[in-house]
Amino acid sequence: MSDDEHHFESSDAGASKTYPQQAGNIRKGGHIVIKGRPCKVVEVSTSKTGKHGHAKCHFVAIDIFTSKKLEDIVPSSHNCDVPHVNRVDYQLIDISEDGFVSLLTDNGSTKDDLKLPTDEALLTQLKNGFDEGKDIVVSVMSAMGEEQMCALKEVGPK
Amino acid sequence: MLGFSNGSGGGGVGAEDLAQFQATMRAIELACSYIQINSNPVAAEATILSLHQSPQPYKACRYILENSQVANARFQAAAAIREAAIREWSFLATDDKGGLINFCLGYVMQHANSSEGYVLSKVSSVAAQLMKRGWLEFTPAEKEVFFYQINQAILGSRGLDVQFIGVNFLESLVSEFSPSTSSAMGLPREFHENCRKSLEQNFLKTFYQWAQDAALSVTNKIIESHSSVPEVKVCNATLRLMHQILNWEFRYSKGGTRASINVFSDGIRADNAFSRKTECVIVQPGASWCDVLLSSSHVGWLINLYSSVRQKFDLEGYWLDCPVAVSARKLIVQLCSLAGKIFPSDNGQMQEQHLLLLLSGVLPWIDPPDVISKEIEEGRSGSEMIDGCRALLSIGTVTTPVVFDKLLRSLRPFGTLTLLSMLMGEVVKVLMANSTDEETWSYEARDILLDTWTTLLASMDGSGGNARLPPEGMHAAASLFSLIVESELKVASASATTEDDADCLASVSAMDERLGSYALIARAAVDATIPFLAKLFSDHVARLHQGRGTVDPTETLEEVYSLLLIIGHVLADEGEGETALVPDALQSHFVDVVEANNHPVVVLSSSIIKFAEQCLDAEMRSSIFSPRLMEAVIWFLARWSFTYLMLVEDCNLGSNQLQSLRSRACLFTFFNEHNQGKFVLDIIVRISLTSLMSYPGEKDLQELTCFQLLHALVRRRNICFHLLSLDSWRNLANAFANDKTLFLLNSVSQRSLAQTLVLSAYGMRSSDASNQYVKDLMAHMTSSLVDLSNNSDLKNLAQQPDIIMLVSCVLERLRGAASATEPRTQRAIYEMGLSVMNPVLRLLEVYKHESAVIYLLLKFVVDWVDGQLSYLEAHETAVVINFCMSLLQIYSSHNIGKISLSLSSTLLNEAKTEKYKDLRALLQLLSHLCSKDMVDFSSDSIETQSTNISQVVYFGLHIITPLITLELLKYPKLCFDYFSLISHMLEVYPETLAQLNNDAFSHVVTTVDFGLHQQDVDIVTMCLRALKALASYHYKEKNTGNSGLGSHAAGHTDPNGVFHEGILSRFLRTLLHFLLFEDYSTDLVSTAADALFPLILCEPNLYQGLGNELIEKQANPNFKTRLANALQVLTTSNQLSSSLDRLNYPRFRKNLNNFLVEVRGFLKTR
Repeated sequence: MSDDEHHFESSDAGASKTYPQQAGNIRKGGHIVIKGRPCKVVEVSTSKTGKHGHAKCHFVAIDIFTSKKLEDIVPSSHNCDVPHVNRVDYQLIDISEDGFVSLLTDNGSTKDDLKLPTDEALLTQLKNGFDEGKDIVVSVMSAMGEEQMCALKEVGPK
Repeated sequence: MLGFSNGSGGGGVGAEDLAQFQATMRAIELACSYIQINSNPVAAEATILSLHQSPQPYKACRYILENSQVANARFQAAAAIREAAIREWSFLATDDKGGLINFCLGYVMQHANSSEGYVLSKVSSVAAQLMKRGWLEFTPAEKEVFFYQINQAILGSRGLDVQFIGVNFLESLVSEFSPSTSSAMGLPREFHENCRKSLEQNFLKTFYQWAQDAALSVTNKIIESHSSVPEVKVCNATLRLMHQILNWEFRYSKGGTRASINVFSDGIRADNAFSRKTECVIVQPGASWCDVLLSSSHVGWLINLYSSVRQKFDLEGYWLDCPVAVSARKLIVQLCSLAGKIFPSDNGQMQEQHLLLLLSGVLPWIDPPDVISKEIEEGRSGSEMIDGCRALLSIGTVTTPVVFDKLLRSLRPFGTLTLLSMLMGEVVKVLMANSTDEETWSYEARDILLDTWTTLLASMDGSGGNARLPPEGMHAAASLFSLIVESELKVASASATTEDDADCLASVSAMDERLGSYALIARAAVDATIPFLAKLFSDHVARLHQGRGTVDPTETLEEVYSLLLIIGHVLADEGEGETALVPDALQSHFVDVVEANNHPVVVLSSSIIKFAEQCLDAEMRSSIFSPRLMEAVIWFLARWSFTYLMLVEDCNLGSNQLQSLRSRACLFTFFNEHNQGKFVLDIIVRISLTSLMSYPGEKDLQELTCFQLLHALVRRRNICFHLLSLDSWRNLANAFANDKTLFLLNSVSQRSLAQTLVLSAYGMRSSDASNQYVKDLMAHMTSSLVDLSNNSDLKNLAQQPDIIMLVSCVLERLRGAASATEPRTQRAIYEMGLSVMNPVLRLLEVYKHESAVIYLLLKFVVDWVDGQLSYLEAHETAVVINFCMSLLQIYSSHNIGKISLSLSSTLLNEAKTEKYKDLRALLQLLSHLCSKDMVDFSSDSIETQSTNISQVVYFGLHIITPLITLELLKYPKLCFDYFSLISHMLEVYPETLAQLNNDAFSHVVTTVDFGLHQQDVDIVTMCLRALKALASYHYKEKNTGNSGLGSHAAGHTDPNGVFHEGILSRFLRTLLHFLLFEDYSTDLVSTAADALFPLILCEPNLYQGLGNELIEKQANPNFKTRLANALQVLTTSNQLSSSLDRLNYPRFRKNLNNFLVEVRGFLKTR
């Protein structure tokens, strides 16, 4: 029994941007790096290279930042890079005129470098909600050195 | 009145009317031409629709039919007559009804030579439909008048065209009366059923005789003339009519077994015992048909007709595909499947004569096979030959193999089986020669012939093992089988190098079916075929070894692959969950074998196992055992071991007379636990472990190993005992718990493997030992989850991909173990779940953005609760329920009001689907919780203070219903789960619903209202049941002086002074409207009645008001009275009283049905 393999240790691996993972183990809904971009897998199919060859996986995935569709074929026993996708929730404290938001971090400082989404309807809803004094939590997703707002949630009025 | 009663022309049409008709005609003509050139089709369709829907459009239609030059306009006029008459039938005068039919019939006869055939057949079919509509009202004398005309026409006294029209009309009529082809009329099934019965008993045979007479009247002309004559058209029509009549599903002639109407199995044939590619319907018209079909030399005439015309046109290849030739052959094939009481009980002599006559007629189509197949390959049409195959299939369906074989002997020096074998041999050769993907005649012929073999042999297979083919037949089967195997292997090696196409599932199941049929042929001659297969297999293995390292083995690999599949099918049947017996043929043959080592089945099985064992060697693995070959090996081992490995004494004995056979004993004991069984079991487990460990990423192989092989093994209790004593099984369990490689299996395999290992704990001697085994197996998984959730840096750590993978893996395994809960291991699995409760909630928190993990968490809890709940004591139940409620609350708090900002529509859709799956899991969780009130094995007495499940579930619903939007309910499965839970809750605990607060209550009610308007009958049914439960609860409570639904039912006035009526009133309105004006399946009427009845009782005043409103809206005084009467009868007839008891519900159902039949006709016209 090789105990040490299963202990959850953060060690210095936490700093790594990607992790290797066997292609056969990446499933729909998981993440994968294709052509250097972090993606979410929306479709996996397997086939064989020739009838008596080995299995390979065909991935269709969407770039989590740009929403571009990417595809890749990898032998299923080979390793793929899987991006470390981190999501952090912040409280929204201000929306500035130029479309940037001000977010409250866990340790009490603010984070002001993120822009609002461009979708008009959503923007209005967000601004109205904010003006009405609702508490709004913003989820920010980061991977491979990029970050973006990915979800909003109203936690009710103050 | 309507201008139809007096047969001839529109004499009484006034000038004003005339102008009106002309205008209508022009409008319709214009609309038709617009549709044709596709210019503004919507408006044009509206014009036509308005004609269809206008009240009493008959005169106008008649005018159009008689005067319009535009065929399409006439067509539409006929359609409008049909629409209007069916709708308004119940208030047409009797004269008008007959007048309409007479008009249509007269019209088609008058215009019999018109070139626009489609208008005529439309009018003819309108006449047929109207005739059916009035069928039960018309007196026999009235019908006689109609049919006199038809008979005259068919006899040919008014010329060929009219004769054709007459036959054509009968064709439409028969098809209207046959349930599967009848047109909808908005009437209960009973009506259709009575029509069918009446036609079958009183008219069908007469029609057939008319068709015969008509055919006879034109036959001579056809045979004598040397070119195509117009008589052919009539002849073809009569043949088609005869074919159609024989296609009728005869019910009332089989000797009184089905005297009453079966409204449930309407239109579904019961005689298709097993699925086949080619349909072969047995024709059983009953004894009364003997004179028409058998003693009148009808068959002889038909065969003679076909063969003489065939001879005449011998040189013209096209003739075989002429309509008349096709119809004649169809009828001949159909007559081959004649069976039942029509033949006297004379030991089948008459049937044999009948079949012999047919066979002699069919023989020229198929014999000699080689010549005919050559002719077809050179360009002749294959249709006749294929019909010949169909005839053989039909004969095979109604006879036993022995009778089938004997038939041909009076015509040829060999039996029919030999002919069948030769014929199929030719077809297989053709298939081999041109193995293109094109669908050719040979594919079709092969399938039909294969079905023939299956039909013949399947009847023998289950009959106790002593039924055998005659020796010559066996020989025929053996030689055919070797030809088949040769061709399959050739196809295999030819396709070995092609790419594996992704969507091969359909072809796999088709192949499975085909191999099943091949296996039957092989089993018909096991003395030859088993040794043949053994030899073939060892030859191929030898070839693999010889060429190792030097030659590319791909082709041979593919051949071995196919061979394994074929042998697997021959040796064992698909169990489909039950233990598959050793096939009878294999038990009963090989009588002179006394030593197990020489038993051909043992020899063949052993050689395959020995071959499979070689995959344990790494070098052999890399050179020979490709993933695909391993799949076949695993598949074979699974199938084989299910039938042969470690048979329990007396379990697979099969039929009694076989028990004494020495050879059989050899076969049965060889692989049992005292002999080679354990040894083979060990090999199988080691092979399984190899396929899991040494084929990384081969998903299909791993799934086969986990689902088919290992899972099947542990499902057999006696095998579990042996498994646990094997080192190899311990290795597998160890690897599962500790080896990183098995963490790389894909998720379903993980789950299945965990389930398998937990199930095997059954093999421990005691319950304690079983629990300990499970504990040891899973301890590592649970502790890893606990460790992780206690980690101080959990939030960051958890998002690392490797941790996500590990957590997913562990959850899949926990879920697999949970789904394997059995009484013996329930304790251990309960504790397993208990120990991870807190970690689960922690993970639910940290993975709130990682929907894939969330889903796994939920599914684990769902399966765990499902397995555990019924065993739990009160205090444990409380713990579990609290846990579930926290789970629901956490999930809900993360998801309410969450908006995804993704730009990608695909990702947004994915997110929606994920949410849908989560909610479905949560609903399942609630449903499982409900079951605690139904099934409870705990030791607590009923009096013990236990959790009130209904409140818990309502509370749960309250938490998750805000997440279930009407948008999400559009997912059918979620919708189904939701409403089944709701209707269950309302039926069982209506009182708890009454206690819900306003918001929650109205949410439930809104969704029920939403559900009522769904298309899916099941959903509507569930909503109606929910309504019934609500209303009857309220009514009963009120009667006992309680408040029932209280303010929800009473309605309220909002601050603005607007009165909102109570929910029962609202539903009464909705339901009445639904029943009267909307389209729905008639299946819903009874359920709707059950809901409507208590609603009416709850809100009598509103009901009265709605009824009056409806009556007031009627302009026609006739309808007014009828509606008033019908409403009166609805609530009073059948001694209906105002109590909700067992007697009143069916009474009200009946009343409502009558009510709807009575009034929907005129209400729906609006």
